[in-house]
Amino acid sequence: MIKRLLIANRGEIARRIIRACRELGVETVAVYSDADAKSPHVAEADQAVHIGAAAARFSYLNIEAIIEAAHAGHADAVHPGYGFLSERAPFVRACESAGLIFVGPPASALEKMGSKTGARALMAGAKVPVVPGETPDDQSDEALKAAAERVGFPVLIKPAAGGGGIGMKAVRDAASFGEALAAARREANAAFGNDTLYVERLIEQPRHVEIQVFADSHGNTVHVFERECSAQRRHQKVVEESPCAALSPAVRQRMGVAAVAAARAVGYVNAGTCEFLLEGSGDSANFYFLEMNTRLQVEHPVTECVTGIDLVHVQLRVASGEPLPFTQGGLSQRGHAIECRIYAEDPSQGFIPQAGPILLYSEPQGPGIRVDSGVKSGTDVSVHYDPLLAKLIVHAPTREAARRRAITALGEYAILGIRTNIPFLLQILDHPQFVKAAIDTGFLDRESAALAAAIPTTIPTAVLAAVEAHRSGASARAAEAMDDQAIDPFTTLRGWRG
Amino acid sequence: MQPLGGGWYLVVDGDKQWRVAVAAEGDATWVFVDGQVARLAATGAGPARGRARSRGDGGVMAPMPATVVAINTSPGQPVQEGDTVIVLEAMKMEMPIKSPRAGIVKAVNCAKGDLVQPGVSLLEIE
Repeated sequence: MIKRLLIANRGEIARRIIRACRELGVETVAVYSDADAKSPHVAEADQAVHIGAAAARFSYLNIEAIIEAAHAGHADAVHPGYGFLSERAPFVRACESAGLIFVGPPASALEKMGSKTGARALMAGAKVPVVPGETPDDQSDEALKAAAERVGFPVLIKPAAGGGGIGMKAVRDAASFGEALAAARREANAAFGNDTLYVERLIEQPRHVEIQVFADSHGNTVHVFERECSAQRRHQKVVEESPCAALSPAVRQRMGVAAVAAARAVGYVNAGTCEFLLEGSGDSANFYFLEMNTRLQVEHPVTECVTGIDLVHVQLRVASGEPLPFTQGGLSQRGHAIECRIYAEDPSQGFIPQAGPILLYSEPQGPGIRVDSGVKSGTDVSVHYDPLLAKLIVHAPTREAARRRAITALGEYAILGIRTNIPFLLQILDHPQFVKAAIDTGFLDRESAALAAAIPTTIPTAVLAAVEAHRSGASARAAEAMDDQAIDPFTTLRGWRG
Repeated sequence: MQPLGGGWYLVVDGDKQWRVAVAAEGDATWVFVDGQVARLAATGAGPARGRARSRGDGGVMAPMPATVVAINTSPGQPVQEGDTVIVLEAMKMEMPIKSPRAGIVKAVNCAKGDLVQPGVSLLEIE
């Protein structure tokens, strides 16, 4: 078994991995940049090593600094988390040649899946359905535009390397292709150091449904069911759940088989996720392989809730050479889980990312409530990293019970000092289409302006007594301005906990 | 009204009660109740949010600390309202900055690669 693990990440995922290690008796080494010296993940590890300046390319993306930190911390293994170096083959090779176990797939599998174009060809060979599209060898503006015209508008431009929606642009017609292409190139280059792009048919109103897979080094590969991630804003997932309401048992079974075939086709080992677009619902639904994420997903906790499996525990066991502790037949889904991503962004100002100190932080607690968080009171949210602060995950016997549990928990989740999307999440969970599970990947892009506008801008007047008490000397004058708006003298919030 | 500690208060009004969290930020006060957050500005402190916006006296400003990744215009060039004049990047996301109105670019006060601060004029339009 791994003895001492370096976690090459920060925030909530670093803390979640540290917790799993504690449970398994594995020691931990955290790494941190200048901006993270006081971050919770640093304090919770057995040792913490400084790796560089705040900008990620000098720290969390700095392979040399991380390998050096692993040696300095006497680690025998490295967990990459998600994002940063998690899907970079050179990092996996650097770990291997430094004698470190990489908790993830072999570099070869990662390379095969890391190139979306290569992966498409492999998947087609493994009889896994794919979306029509192409990557021109000639990457000039003209050649890419010609490819888009052959595939047929509307199209999606995507970086050949990478994921997380970065650099992905939907283009409806030839006229707007140029500007989208330039932006996609820049974002791809900045995020992945590789600006190769591919163009594929945009499937209208699909669901994003992904299958968790797990493989060990003894030839066992299983799927661990689906996650429904259609609630995305500008390709960033916002709310995820399991099971997916649109999957019939037959389609779930076929998708699971396809995901296992995809993993086998690249010699996959450890945890991975096959993302699919789902067209339609029930037994007649079609699905298309999108890409494989060769790492732990942000939304892995919903799978853990419904299957009872700790995916990080299994990752560490598999990386240590142990066989999977379960077989396909031994896995089942129980109840319903929903994850809400808590982002530092202001829904009332076009979702602009927020930075600054968190003055007060208080998580909800109760049966079926889990919070994976990277912050606490006093944390200074930095402009340098992803705005994901935390994840609220709820588990309940039914979808409706889970939905109401999430609403109740979010209503108790206090974060002051910076704006978050919690009021927006509450609006999503109450939207009639979300209530009916009738959503597709365009749902939030269509509805987010209306949902943001529906966020109540008033608070009960009586509550101001607390403000007065808190601010000695401050009195009712504080009520004069609240967010540029006058406070209505009413005492209940509309539609609350509806 | 009863302090509960750690910035939390129990506010009672007739047959209703709320658990309220409060935090001070300079002269302003943040308040949380039932999933709702408000930021109350102190009297006479001007706008409730000190955030610069990409409109105003012919200037174009960054909404937050960000890196300039593209400048699509230069001094002397005409721009239309809604044209993307500058592209900023922060927290891995690109933010197109649109011209607040039509006019001629008078000055460009930033360069590609600059880390710019909110409230500083990036571009002047006359």
